[in-house]
Amino acid sequence: MAELVKLFVNGQEVEVESGKNLIDALRVVGIEIPHFCYHPALGADGNCRMCLVGIEDGRPPLVPACKTPVQEGMKVLLDAEHIKKIQRDVLEFELINHPVDCPVCDQAGECALQDYYMNYSLDDSRMQVAQVTKGKRMDFGCGVVHDQERCVLCGRCVRFTRQITKTGELGIVNRTDAARVSIFPGKPLNNRYALNIVDICPVGAMTSSDFRFRQRVWFLKKDPGICHGCSKGCAIYIDHHREKYKDDVIYRYRARTNLNVNGYFICDDGRLSYAGENENRQTSALADGAVIGFDEGIELVRERLDRARKPLMLISPDCSLEQMWAVQRIATLYGAELSGYSDNYIIDGDGDEYLINDDKAANRRGLELLEIDFSRAQFLTGLQHTDLLVNFNNDLFFGGVDEELKSLLDKTQSIAVCSHQLQVYESASIVLPTASYSEYGGTIINEDNVLQRFEKALFKNEDPKDVLEITRLLGGAINDAPHAWPGIKQSVACLADIDPQAIPAEGIKLQNSEDTNVGA
Amino acid sequence: MEVKILSAKFDIEDAHLIAVAKDHGAYQTLDKLFSMSPEDVINEVKESGLRGRGGAGFPAGVKWSFLPKDLDKPTYLAVNSDESEPATFKDRYILVKDPHLLIEGIIICCYAINCHDAYIYIRGEYTSQVKALQRAIDEAYEAGYLGESVGGHDFRLDVTVHRGAGAYVCGEETALLESIEGKKGQPRSKPPFPAVVGLYDCPTIINNVQTIASLPFIIQEGADAYKAHGTEKSSGTHLFGISGHVEKPGMYELPLGLPLMEVLDRVAGGVWKGRKLKGVIPGGSSTPVLTPEEAKTVSLDYESMAEHKTMFGSGGIVVLDETVDIVKLVENLIHFYHHESCGQCTPCREGLGWMLKIVKKIIAGEGSMADIDLLVELCDNIEMKTVCVLSAACTMPVRSYLNKFRDEFEAYVTDAAS
Repeated sequence: MAELVKLFVNGQEVEVESGKNLIDALRVVGIEIPHFCYHPALGADGNCRMCLVGIEDGRPPLVPACKTPVQEGMKVLLDAEHIKKIQRDVLEFELINHPVDCPVCDQAGECALQDYYMNYSLDDSRMQVAQVTKGKRMDFGCGVVHDQERCVLCGRCVRFTRQITKTGELGIVNRTDAARVSIFPGKPLNNRYALNIVDICPVGAMTSSDFRFRQRVWFLKKDPGICHGCSKGCAIYIDHHREKYKDDVIYRYRARTNLNVNGYFICDDGRLSYAGENENRQTSALADGAVIGFDEGIELVRERLDRARKPLMLISPDCSLEQMWAVQRIATLYGAELSGYSDNYIIDGDGDEYLINDDKAANRRGLELLEIDFSRAQFLTGLQHTDLLVNFNNDLFFGGVDEELKSLLDKTQSIAVCSHQLQVYESASIVLPTASYSEYGGTIINEDNVLQRFEKALFKNEDPKDVLEITRLLGGAINDAPHAWPGIKQSVACLADIDPQAIPAEGIKLQNSEDTNVGA
Repeated sequence: MEVKILSAKFDIEDAHLIAVAKDHGAYQTLDKLFSMSPEDVINEVKESGLRGRGGAGFPAGVKWSFLPKDLDKPTYLAVNSDESEPATFKDRYILVKDPHLLIEGIIICCYAINCHDAYIYIRGEYTSQVKALQRAIDEAYEAGYLGESVGGHDFRLDVTVHRGAGAYVCGEETALLESIEGKKGQPRSKPPFPAVVGLYDCPTIINNVQTIASLPFIIQEGADAYKAHGTEKSSGTHLFGISGHVEKPGMYELPLGLPLMEVLDRVAGGVWKGRKLKGVIPGGSSTPVLTPEEAKTVSLDYESMAEHKTMFGSGGIVVLDETVDIVKLVENLIHFYHHESCGQCTPCREGLGWMLKIVKKIIAGEGSMADIDLLVELCDNIEMKTVCVLSAACTMPVRSYLNKFRDEFEAYVTDAAS
């Protein structure tokens, strides 16, 4: 915790963290200072002039809050008439050449211009001369569509490509009200984080071609989640909506701030991975390709497991810690060998120095902590000798068909508990549908040993069953995520002190990772 | 009335050549300079009362003393030769007619502030001027006044000429630094001030050409000799560019503090063609206009101008005779500042364009009285809300025209209505 300083806002004493600017420091205590260009990840630029505040006895008396660090005893004026007038005036300047096309703008409902107009202005337009016209619907590449007329020239997008991705595709060309954000001729955005520009644009100037015109944002339910695209575990918002007479559908992921993991941004692959939650889902139970009832499927699986001499269970490295624990228990129950084989989830060289990791498994640390073997040797040996494979949602062909495994799988009787229709499950004689990560809650541990918890976000019309529930139906004792914890805490030393209900939003950095695999 | 300190060699043929310049005293302060300590030089300049000649009039020696001491970084000098303020044409005379005076001044300043790399930021449109300046710099290097050992003394100094690309805003000192660094010329937020964080994040002094060119006289003759000219608070001489509706427009060096009307009548020959005076722009287009009544009592120094609610500015005096259409003048004025707005800050970027369109609307006979009021209000809403003072350089004079010549704006509205 940083040092605290006392200052006065509109004469009221407040205590805030030192070392921050006025915008960030006062936001923590619930005081909003309107701004466009400032973004905590991109620093203060000071061009929008929306955050001008008064400093009593200050020299100068008017300062941009984004560039002003908090100081002991500082007297900040926010509600003085002359400050409110500046806010109205700056908004008026932002709006005179703005098309005010909110009804057809995707940003409507989450637009700083709209919000500030409602909060700080509500003045009628005095603009009676021709507006400046600029470019519309400009394809900037990477799915980013730019509208120069809606742009407030705050430069966040430009600074993002210079400071964060260091690719520098964007710039502001021209001066005066002819200034506009532009790509260089023939050089569109070309980086794996470009869609963050849509998130950080405070207005509707940057929209995503993927999301444009698909849903009004005020219909969206915005639940926190964790991206399962790789072992980074970036914090996201799952924006979804269950339209009347239709099913709960995810419309987009957005970056959620977690300074312990991803900061303010996520990669485009992860952002667009929401589509995988909607599409290609396994929704019904199958026996030899024919649709059967789910309960019937469970009965069949129980029978086969009871009959099997050497069952082998395979778990996905994307499963939650609780799911892994429950499958581990059910494996013991049926005397099955358990593998977490997932070498194919590692795409060598795909990662970067920032948020994208080579390992596309969301919870490999979970396998490690629970001492679930994920070596190829163990899995190959198991597969050669088993008479029944039960695959809990592990895509063995992720990244490409593994011919050696395929020939073995073709020879083996297998059961697939899967969320998606994938080639790897085609050889299964029984298929049980299960929930994907937006449809259950649990905890995962990322590559940097940060434990994060996420909640069930989606509620489908026919809610697919969580792997946990399926293990319970197969005779296991774990019937929900909290029930897994006493056992997990007992067997994993570094989790012994964790209260799963009290994991903060930013997660917990686990300690002593090297010697935790020893059972208590 | 003229006093030739800065312009002493202007009338000498080929004084821009080092041989001729030296025959007339160029570089003769150097021995004295290097016998002084840098602190003595700063004190002498402080003592002289020399104020920055770029327009703001901040005391030069005081500015130098803001440099942080004992910093493990080089100090830079950037000479502002971006002379772009409409109606200003003083520095170009120094650049063409006596560039060695400027170089000598640079040596003095750099010695005082312990700077070994000076930049001259010169307006891009100054093509003949940049040639003259570069030639003089080359001559100075050849003669040993620049380079490893300035005038044979243990002091290295390199001078680099950087040409601008035609943006008025690059005359703003921090935009000038950005431009030298190869970036888009946009002013920086202050603080930090350039004296602390300037060019390439190093302490930097930015002075106008005329300020620097005033230094050789101050060092050679002493602060008292300089203070003998001008007033107590506005000491020394200034190059005045007098243009507009006078009989004898031109560049004149005058001591500060002379009555404006006396200068206009006796030096510039009075309002031309026997016409009546409508107004005087005292120091470049960004200074609020003076009515004939006000012009009678104002004198050419910083204090008197401030008392008359205008500014001394750059010394670019424009005389407006009775035929001038103030509304069209304002249109021209806003057109310039709108065009030159860097586009960074919202009020300036959007507001100046709005004001221009309103004035055009009034001229087209489509304006209303409310439009005139709106113009006045927009001046208030834009001014001092921005990173730099470019917007104020527009709104301050525009407000003065709206207040002092409102009847002319109203006439456009009523004439259109009738």
